[in-house]
Amino acid sequence: MTRKASPTIALFPEASFGAALNCVGIAQALRARGARPVFICHAGFSGVFADYGFQEYQLPTDDPLTDSERQSYWQAFVRRHLPHFRLSPIDQLETYVAPTWEAIVDTAVNAEAPLRQLMTRLKPDAVVLDNVIMFPALAAAGCPWVRVVSCAETELPDADVPPYLSGLAADDPSRAAFEARYLAAVAPAHDRFNRLRTEAGLAPLPRGLFLEASPDLNLLLTPTIVRRQRAEPLDPARFVYLEGCVRSEGPFDVPVFPRNDGPLVYLSFGSLGAMDVGLIERMLALFDRLPARFIVNVGGLRDSYRAVPDNVYLDAWFPQPSVVAKSDLFIHHGGNNSFCEALRFGVPSLIMPYCWDGHDNAQRAEETGVGRHLSRVGWSDDELENVILGLMADGEMRYRLEENAATMAQAPGTDAAAEAILALVRT
Amino acid sequence: MQAVARRPRTNHLDLAQRILDVARQRGFEAGAHLPEQQIASLCNVSRTPVRAALRLLTEKGVVRWEAESGYRLAVDLTNQASLAADLPSAEEDELAEMILRDRSARRLDQTVTIGALMRRYSAERKTVLKALKKLTDENLLDRAPGQSWLFRRAPDDPEAQGESYEFRLMLEPAAILAPGFRLDGTRAAALRQAMEALLALPDAAFDIKEFQRLDIDFHGLIADGAANRFVTDALSDHLRLRRLPGTYAGVNVFRLKQSLREHLTILDQLESRQYEVAADLLRVHLRLSRSQRPQAASRGAPALFGMISRPD
Repeated sequence: MTRKASPTIALFPEASFGAALNCVGIAQALRARGARPVFICHAGFSGVFADYGFQEYQLPTDDPLTDSERQSYWQAFVRRHLPHFRLSPIDQLETYVAPTWEAIVDTAVNAEAPLRQLMTRLKPDAVVLDNVIMFPALAAAGCPWVRVVSCAETELPDADVPPYLSGLAADDPSRAAFEARYLAAVAPAHDRFNRLRTEAGLAPLPRGLFLEASPDLNLLLTPTIVRRQRAEPLDPARFVYLEGCVRSEGPFDVPVFPRNDGPLVYLSFGSLGAMDVGLIERMLALFDRLPARFIVNVGGLRDSYRAVPDNVYLDAWFPQPSVVAKSDLFIHHGGNNSFCEALRFGVPSLIMPYCWDGHDNAQRAEETGVGRHLSRVGWSDDELENVILGLMADGEMRYRLEENAATMAQAPGTDAAAEAILALVRT
Repeated sequence: MQAVARRPRTNHLDLAQRILDVARQRGFEAGAHLPEQQIASLCNVSRTPVRAALRLLTEKGVVRWEAESGYRLAVDLTNQASLAADLPSAEEDELAEMILRDRSARRLDQTVTIGALMRRYSAERKTVLKALKKLTDENLLDRAPGQSWLFRRAPDDPEAQGESYEFRLMLEPAAILAPGFRLDGTRAAALRQAMEALLALPDAAFDIKEFQRLDIDFHGLIADGAANRFVTDALSDHLRLRRLPGTYAGVNVFRLKQSLREHLTILDQLESRQYEVAADLLRVHLRLSRSQRPQAASRGAPALFGMISRPD
């Protein structure tokens, strides 16, 4: 590889806000170092990266959905899965996890040909893949590829790490049962994915795995304070821990509330979780009686809410890192970006997960004393009130989180990622 | 419950702002004499309210009183796009702001009544009525049957925001292209200065509220410059909706700064009377400003744009 003054780094996040905005953070740091970060994106995400000033290359799609079909798809998606989000992680395997893997494999299959063509044209110096599945075209691109593990650390299996998506402790006796059921549930999707790999000239992956470690560089977001001990330690030459990876956002002015007293609590369940209007409504009713101010992300469903309490402010979108930085408590779904942002700014987390690695992060928050885990169902008002007030009153937790935040601030994950990627390109 | 504080009378505040607008339009410089009679006839009012408004401006340091010659302008108006922010707000203005803020946060329903507003804000009936009249005059609210009022739809959800951009794409370039467009040079110069100052701030210190004020001012400058008064009215009405809380969500500083640079380029072309180029650039600016952020996304699912109705 010839050394370039301004290497082109193609970032390819999956079509979710967590990965997309995580990559924005890395791209900002790459740009600050003189590289040329560009984005490969799925059709739905065109414009998201351009708004941060990055060139986008949209993957052509033969997605036949019209706007109204897309609306119907999501109506059906929400109707089908909202009940599933109230199930235990093991009971989500057949209902949510397996169908989602099928859809992810579809994405990989559909992207393969256009991605190969794009790689030929783009000729990047490196590709950064922030996804949960491999795209064989990247392995054939003729440049190093970097894997970003922007989910919980459980995404990389190990005997001492709980199974991915299980929400279990590492030594939980039900571990084997979960693993067996997981492998069975995802087997059809996995078989299909391995066929894609074989046809593309890549070796098949072991059961249950959809993405291998990069031979060049792997970046993990997991901050030290929640990191796990592994039976087989990761090779530090290829695996770099980032201590989170928080993007820069503009300043956030805390709104004036009609009832303007008390600590500030931020609630965001992500774009998918915002659709659980019933849950958020129930929480708002409780917030009304608490001595705090609440900022609530309701996505595009603002009109679903009425008589919002005077100590609550809701909006469709917030510059999340800037809001978290001013908050005393962050209630979220356990998305890894949200979890890392809470840690980066020394804010305790109340995690109410609904799917995927949210369960793993909720479990880890409890184990490491950086927050609490509360199920989305079955809580009583008194229980939620006690958890919220307890977290805000926990001086010892706050002190530990602030110490950790100071350490994380000294070594921003975005900088570490950019340095590691550029070092790889320049070797 | 939030109570409304005692404030100066609205008509004096309005007149104070009008005096400044007249002074700016006529190119009055700092130190210019402001004879009460002349100001009264320029503003079509008697001398008594003019005196009260000038006293208000004196308290704010915008005007100074000299025993021998009377009132004089104390500031350079070209350096300030608007002095409205420096003037105190009237009681009903403050209440109107609170009503809009609470509607945006869905603390108020789409329909409100005088009685409920009096109780909520501990305000007198006449203050509530004035606030409602102000919001009605600004086309933000409609009178409904009985003692109730209905909020008009604000561009604070993805679909309404999309329609708002479509509307502006149709009319704003047309405002420039219709024969007879006139740019207010003094206002444009003040805007340019303010936009350049905002652009010079580091990202972490970027003032989003100031951006919103300048953005509305910039597009208002174009609306006011149109020779077709119906175009001006339609755009001005729409701009008022964009002043509402909750209409600027989801924009990051990089894009806001880029947007300011686009404004400056359009101003360059307007000042050079290159109206067709300015209209084309404005079209591009509006297209780029339209948020493309999906409403929902999930692994393996097509990203969702526009609204999704409340789940069952």
